Amino acid sequence: MSNVYIIGAGYHPFGRFEKSYQQIGSEAATSALKDAGVEWRDVQAAYMARMYLPATSGARILRSLGATDISVIDIEAACASGGAALLQGMLAIRAGEADLVLVAGTEKMPRGFMDPSMIYSSWQIELGMSMNPAYWSMRAMRHMHEYGTTHEQIAMVAHKNHLNSVHNPMAMYQKEFSMEQILNSPLVCDPIRLLEICAPNDGAAAVVLASERKMRQLGADGIRIAAAAHTISRYSSDFRCPAETMSATMDNDGPTEVTAARAFTTAGFGIEDIDCFEVQDTDAFCEIELYEELGLCPVGEGGRLVQDGHTAIGGKMPVNMSGGLISKGEPVGASHLGQIVELVAQLRGTCGPRQVEGARTALGHVLGAGGNCAITILQK
Amino acid sequence: MTTPPVERIAIKEGLFAGPLDNIEDVHLAGSKCRSCQEVGLGQLDVCPNCGADDLVPVTLGDVGTLYTYTIVRHRPPGNYQGPAEFKPFGLGLVEVDGAIRVMAPLLPAINDIRIGMELRLHPYVLRTTDTGAEVVAFAYDATGEQK
Repeated sequence: MSNVYIIGAGYHPFGRFEKSYQQIGSEAATSALKDAGVEWRDVQAAYMARMYLPATSGARILRSLGATDISVIDIEAACASGGAALLQGMLAIRAGEADLVLVAGTEKMPRGFMDPSMIYSSWQIELGMSMNPAYWSMRAMRHMHEYGTTHEQIAMVAHKNHLNSVHNPMAMYQKEFSMEQILNSPLVCDPIRLLEICAPNDGAAAVVLASERKMRQLGADGIRIAAAAHTISRYSSDFRCPAETMSATMDNDGPTEVTAARAFTTAGFGIEDIDCFEVQDTDAFCEIELYEELGLCPVGEGGRLVQDGHTAIGGKMPVNMSGGLISKGEPVGASHLGQIVELVAQLRGTCGPRQVEGARTALGHVLGAGGNCAITILQK
Repeated sequence: MTTPPVERIAIKEGLFAGPLDNIEDVHLAGSKCRSCQEVGLGQLDVCPNCGADDLVPVTLGDVGTLYTYTIVRHRPPGNYQGPAEFKPFGLGLVEVDGAIRVMAPLLPAINDIRIGMELRLHPYVLRTTDTGAEVVAFAYDATGEQK
């Protein structure tokens, strides 16, 4: 298979803004094009990840850069929308349909809990089974019961990620919170607290992809996409929202395990070869579970991994150097491409105080409604 | 003069086994796949595991054990039909017949909820529709048994 490279990356900060989604999205796209040193009129196809925006958002956002006649397609795969869009952009280049592709994600979301009718059935909403954090929390509660994971270990993830965000201009909250502040913040759904979950918000991120030939022609120094994978969870492998039931007898691999296996097969190397990670910390517990599902530690030992500092910047396997979604917020369509922007900067060595020294490989992971999971592996 | 019987409908079509006239005798319906033996919730046409279309209707047991839970501390968004004045409540996965875990609201006091506790199905009338039909929903309540 031919190689595909990221030759430019840009973003609009994540947060809440008095701006249209078109402005937010086009600023990110312009920033990525500028970083790549290419013009919009040279782009041959574009993919826009988004979930809560209206139809043809991609075209409406990108038309402001110039009404070229290329294919512009909106992509939606819940929290994994950005990964699904990146995969499509990569495939377009591999198929020989294009040499230069823009992949972007944009979102503008109301404050508070997400509109439940987007993913839940009406009867689930009537009975109060329609709050996403409730599902994350049930996973945390079971993990604590089975493996002795503690409230403190869960809070340590939030503490680490908020601490990392202090130096990230993309983040909505660029502020350190003490363990005491986190553990005293209000419960949202037991055992998960307010300072341990991410907020839906506004933001955009974009990357420019190029074939090897195009990259050489431009004289660009790209980051190779070693793998991009997207899957939907197998039967009864994940009781993430909006699950109604689980099997009591089947123990299928979860979406992260399945997607990671697929991505590593493509990449031709393993988890032990990855230097830094950005993963779906929609809640602090989720990151602990992902350590285990990605294979950073044995099942049941995720709490210990964060407690021992291994996933901090400077640790053996740094996770969420950007501050994660807990600090940046989760503009759903933009979240994975936001991770990619961070990871590209890490591999370029331009992250300043949050730089992982000598990083040559990186993994971005997102996971959400319906067991939508995407993993992208990058290599310098 | 006798009052005509009130029409009752399930909050989700096919969720319950049998008639809804006697609320004490309402049970959850399931569908068992003849091919892979998996049990799904409600009346299903296709097995959610293997995709086979040869399913046998079953009635799920009323008693189960709590696999995991959370306490919902804020009023859920959208058309939530709980008490007008919001009260935090339990939500959990209840394991029934060793076959299926059902996501359901929990009625025990929030401080009494524990993983592994025994629970019993509690069917009830949630609301009345514009045309006068009673909508039957379900939750789980404590049996009082220790496990």
